[in-house]
Amino acid sequence: MSKSLMQTRLATKNLVSWFFLPLFLLLVVFPLLALFGNLKADGIVRTLKDWYFWQSFKNTIWTACASSALGTVLAIGFGYYHLFHKNSFTYKLANLMNDLPAAIPHTVAGLALILAFGRRTLGFISNTGLAFNVFGVVLAMFFVSYPLCARTITSGVDGTDRETVDVARTLGDNPVQAYFRIVLPLMGESIFAAFVLAFSRALSEFAAVVMFGGNLPGSTQVLASYVFTKVEEGELEMAVTASVICILLSLIIVALVSIRRKKHA
Amino acid sequence: MLKVDGICKAYGAQEVLKEACLEIGAEIKVLIGVNGCGKSTLLKIIAGIIEPDKGSVLLEGKDLTHLPPEERRVGYVPQHPALFGHKNVINNIRYGMRNGRGSEKLLKELIDMLGLNDILNKKPGELSGGYKSRVSLARALAPEPEIILLDEPLSDIDAAVKEKLLPEFRRVIKLMKVPVLYVTHDPAEAEQIGDSFAVMQDGRVAEINSASEAFEIIKKNKLISA
Repeated sequence: MSKSLMQTRLATKNLVSWFFLPLFLLLVVFPLLALFGNLKADGIVRTLKDWYFWQSFKNTIWTACASSALGTVLAIGFGYYHLFHKNSFTYKLANLMNDLPAAIPHTVAGLALILAFGRRTLGFISNTGLAFNVFGVVLAMFFVSYPLCARTITSGVDGTDRETVDVARTLGDNPVQAYFRIVLPLMGESIFAAFVLAFSRALSEFAAVVMFGGNLPGSTQVLASYVFTKVEEGELEMAVTASVICILLSLIIVALVSIRRKKHA
Repeated sequence: MLKVDGICKAYGAQEVLKEACLEIGAEIKVLIGVNGCGKSTLLKIIAGIIEPDKGSVLLEGKDLTHLPPEERRVGYVPQHPALFGHKNVINNIRYGMRNGRGSEKLLKELIDMLGLNDILNKKPGELSGGYKSRVSLARALAPEPEIILLDEPLSDIDAAVKEKLLPEFRRVIKLMKVPVLYVTHDPAEAEQIGDSFAVMQDGRVAEINSASEAFEIIKKNKLISA
């Protein structure tokens, strides 16, 4: 190898390591360390004694679970179209729309939800329609996390052996039966991944949730909006504690996925 | 009698089948052709998995061309066993027997003939290639199909096991007394299993007298095109 080529390679390698590592440490690791560094015993105690914190924690868990379940179920339906009706109008439209919620500002998503399911259209249910209650929180979380479910389920569908579906069809299954009896049972990993990814996305959602679900302490407040409220109130230590708990929840989810992957490897 | 009449199929600009015709009585017809010549496409059209652009598939005069696979009563053994990984062997074999298809007597006969008694409760992941192929065949035959289609079912199996399996497969398939189309590109396999032979070239099918004749034709055609 010529000397100049070696020097070029070395320079490229150095450029990557000099460029990547400091930026990664500064932009990803440092903010998290700053958060953990500001964790104070007094803040922890006050947060854990705060009834509103526990309400927002409970709300976060159940609304994220409900929205992820809804997203996974709907994505399973989309997976059926992905497998059997790729040329249909329904599939093409759904496929196009799938990426939209992830691409638009989530305040816009919240506004869209208010206009679709708020007082103007569903005012007969309550004064605010489905907005500003926990169902609104679930819908807002679902709206932003569903694309992740759909993409995960479709890659699961793509990963299944098409010949098993063909065989099931020749053995008397119509497409729906083949999908539910053969494809889905073999996609447990993807269904789990879709749920977990949607859950973590729902957990982190703020803008759409506040816009459509509101930020009513003890009622529609979730951990993300609790942190925002505490920062606004100047209760930085309580905000830090709630944030760390959010991170721990995410870590638990990541660990769950990793354990399950290892189990099935 | 299974009659395949003037089947055409193109994928974009590429014509895979050009007026392919074939007649099969209650016999094992081996369809020979090089890889990628359209044998599997023809099999899938007969099974109803792929729709032809033109032509018809008739069984005892009944037009099957536009029937979905689930209404055709076809026993299909794909190239790879494609067993249902979440079901054990017996539930794989029984899968097509819902809706009153097949009989317990035939099921028992198939299990005995293919030597599957000791593995009925095992999952496909625990089986060797030879056993997977046996289970795949038993699964296709248990619902008493009216047509049997085998798409290079032993291509994953090593030569020694294949040697042992071929007579076993032939004996079991013959039990069904229905039209059988067996696709392969292996001359020895074709001779061992077939009653009659056909060769596929350039999207058309021609009846021939022996498997060796098919390979002569293929060889000659290769020389000409070279």
